[in-house]
Amino acid sequence: MALDPKDFPVEEHALPNGLQIRLLQDRSLPVATLYSFFRVGSRNERPGITGISHLFEHMMFNGSRKYGPKEFDRRLESAGGSSNAYTSNDLTAYYEDFASDALPLVLDLEADRMASLTIDDASLAREREVVKEERRFRTDNDIDGMMDEALGALTFLAHPYRWPVIGWMTDIEAITRQDCEQYFRTYYAPNNCTLVLVGDFDGKSALGLIERLYSPIPSGGRLPPVPTGEPAQKGERRAVIRYPSHAPAVLVGFRGPHGRDPDSLVLDLIEAALSSGEGARLKRALVYQQELCVDAHVFFGWRVDPGPFEVSLKLNPGIDPARAESSLWAELSRLCDEPMRVPELERAKNLVRAQFLRGLQTSNGRSHTIGQMEVMLGTWRALLDLPDRYAAITAADVQRVARKTFMPHRRNVVTLFPGEVEP
Amino acid sequence: MIADVALPPLAIEKLPSGLTLLALQKRGLPLFHARLSLAAGACEDPRGKAGLAQFTVDLLRRGTRRRPAQDVDDLIESMGAHLSADVSMEEAALALTVPADLADRALDALLEVALEPAFEENEVSSARRRTVASLQSDLDEPSTVAARAVVTLGYGPTHPYAHPTQGWRRDVETFRPEDARGFHATRCQQNGGLFAVVGQDEPQRLLSMLRQKLTQWQASWPGPAQRQPLHFSALPPGEGLRAVVVHKPDATQAQVRIVAPGLPRTTPRYAEAVVTNTGLGGGFTSLLVDAIRVDRGLSYSVSTRLHMNRRAGLSVFSSFTKNETLRELIDVALEKMRAYAAAGPSEDALDKARRYLAGLFPLGLESHEALAEQIADAILDGVGLDHLAKYRSRVLAVTLDQARSIAGEISPARPGAQLVVVGEADVARRALNGLCPVDVRQLDEFA
Repeated sequence: MALDPKDFPVEEHALPNGLQIRLLQDRSLPVATLYSFFRVGSRNERPGITGISHLFEHMMFNGSRKYGPKEFDRRLESAGGSSNAYTSNDLTAYYEDFASDALPLVLDLEADRMASLTIDDASLAREREVVKEERRFRTDNDIDGMMDEALGALTFLAHPYRWPVIGWMTDIEAITRQDCEQYFRTYYAPNNCTLVLVGDFDGKSALGLIERLYSPIPSGGRLPPVPTGEPAQKGERRAVIRYPSHAPAVLVGFRGPHGRDPDSLVLDLIEAALSSGEGARLKRALVYQQELCVDAHVFFGWRVDPGPFEVSLKLNPGIDPARAESSLWAELSRLCDEPMRVPELERAKNLVRAQFLRGLQTSNGRSHTIGQMEVMLGTWRALLDLPDRYAAITAADVQRVARKTFMPHRRNVVTLFPGEVEP
Repeated sequence: MIADVALPPLAIEKLPSGLTLLALQKRGLPLFHARLSLAAGACEDPRGKAGLAQFTVDLLRRGTRRRPAQDVDDLIESMGAHLSADVSMEEAALALTVPADLADRALDALLEVALEPAFEENEVSSARRRTVASLQSDLDEPSTVAARAVVTLGYGPTHPYAHPTQGWRRDVETFRPEDARGFHATRCQQNGGLFAVVGQDEPQRLLSMLRQKLTQWQASWPGPAQRQPLHFSALPPGEGLRAVVVHKPDATQAQVRIVAPGLPRTTPRYAEAVVTNTGLGGGFTSLLVDAIRVDRGLSYSVSTRLHMNRRAGLSVFSSFTKNETLRELIDVALEKMRAYAAAGPSEDALDKARRYLAGLFPLGLESHEALAEQIADAILDGVGLDHLAKYRSRVLAVTLDQARSIAGEISPARPGAQLVVVGEADVARRALNGLCPVDVRQLDEFA
């Protein structure tokens, strides 16, 4: 069942400088969320400055012409709001949740930093240390993080998805103020941004405010092309990590389609069938029946370019990773060899549909979904017929996409063994 | 102007059995949410059986008297739902959200799982092995180890809150079907429980549906049972700072917690406490974030939190830093927290904290799940609906004098504080040299 456009009266606007604006009013609670989506992520980087997208995200909170250092969040919190941001391989998103009467301030804060961000050596030096701490936390001292980093480098040889979003430590240390300034001029122009406002506001006055604040910001130039080539994988690739952990782990990746490819929706259903809920295939087989794993999880997210479909197995202490792998290959083969039965396919569809609906419950969730549809699928309207597109997927589609994706010679496998690295 | 937020249309009824029914109307998305809260929290774990509440609740879906575990999974997940089974110190809550047209099926599924678990021998043994493996794996996550150490050390050796909800491996290894059956029979009681639903219908219609459904399942509830009253002793009195270092080999970064006795959720000074804590380490522009992250770049994450349970609470400072700056981070944190405990926030900082909390408060009422949980907790904790309905005005009314007077009581650095470091023992011992007595423990002690 498609979503009714009457329930999603999104207004679409654009400024002459290229800024895209999406507005959705909801007066039920006195709060709103503003997202600023910039079409830049780690795929826009190059070796030597990996991690600059994420480091730059931190720099965006360090002051601009009108609002000096520490002012952005101080003013926002004083008005009943909070901010955060995230960087992915494909995009960088900034958001503010706030009491609705803070809207003029929020827009002024965002427009001011897009127009006139301050980048100085002292704040770069401090932020660099914060990011290095974040890297130590999420990657260097975290099993999932260190395995994911190894898998990226294994799955991609040429594409920028090869390096981690947070960047290599040596690159984080080497990024200069000039790199940041160049980066800002290139990617943080209004023509590379979509603004999404959802919540309690008056549409006409909000649009007027946005026009007044953002129109003076000049459009940027053409964006540099991204080297998206990647040679075909001709054989299984493996990496081993030794770390003083209490249990082994296996992380597997297959290169999949890009987000606009209809097969991505099929992989969403395969993800649900394999790992969403306690009755999912991998949970049932590897966790409950064979007792090989503490957890078995699939990660698949839409990417601008062909991205990875990943399976993470957290093994029970003492389990041989080869045994768990063998069970995983058997489950993936079953997807390729046997058509999925109707109740299981319906289960996967219902789980994906319900997850989609639950994601629309909050202003933040609606705002994020609208922006993500714009960046990944080209239009927010894609969300309206998404439920219908999932509903139309057949068991034959699942089998076809599984066969295309899970070929043995396209496997990339990272295995973590408990133990010290030998000197 | 930040005004109080009107709660959505709702109806409440307390049954003679002691079960409270709560119905909330939420228009918009065609979703239905149900949440059954029972007085079966981790504080009810018998001595030597830490983790039994969580273990029992996890087992509820592993087979009922009507169907095996796999069929229970299919029953729930075919509706597109995930059944959450959360155990806090005070209560166990089963909850699920489904498309609105599946409300009836969802209530049946939830009640079947809650009231008719089978606790078969093979499922109990399997769950025991899974839980033990999971506790062992958790040792690889330094922040999880730190959290387990905080509750244990913070509440002292005999307090009912003094263990993680997941329990201890040594206790979980002893769990047998009769333990789970006994816990379920005595704690799955209507008295002290609350059944909440959120849907598109008017509250009275929702309430009527709930009553009808409970009548159908009336015979499945365990019979009345007596439970031993819990003894909530006062938290350990204040002494000098002490440190526990949990040795994590090869760590290049140390997790740091500073924990001290705090306030319960039922404190009449709740608003003053949360506002004052926000100024210290609650928001992104708090005193500690400014000093540790923004000014010095010592950490990515810094916070202070009030862990408020119904009858006692803790104040906890959390952060992490590379090994080389461990002592610097601790020194800055202690110095700032002690100064704040003595002087409280500035007028500007207080105003910012008040408006920050008041402005963001409605976000916690947006989703079906959050709405049900917030209102159910307000009722069960005995703080009443005004706790939410008047939240904004209460927070905005906190004065500088009130904030200054409570600053010392919510400070994680108050006398009797304990420092927890999860990291390389030799590095941590050197860093803490001269600061306070240090007790080094092994990771396995926290499994």
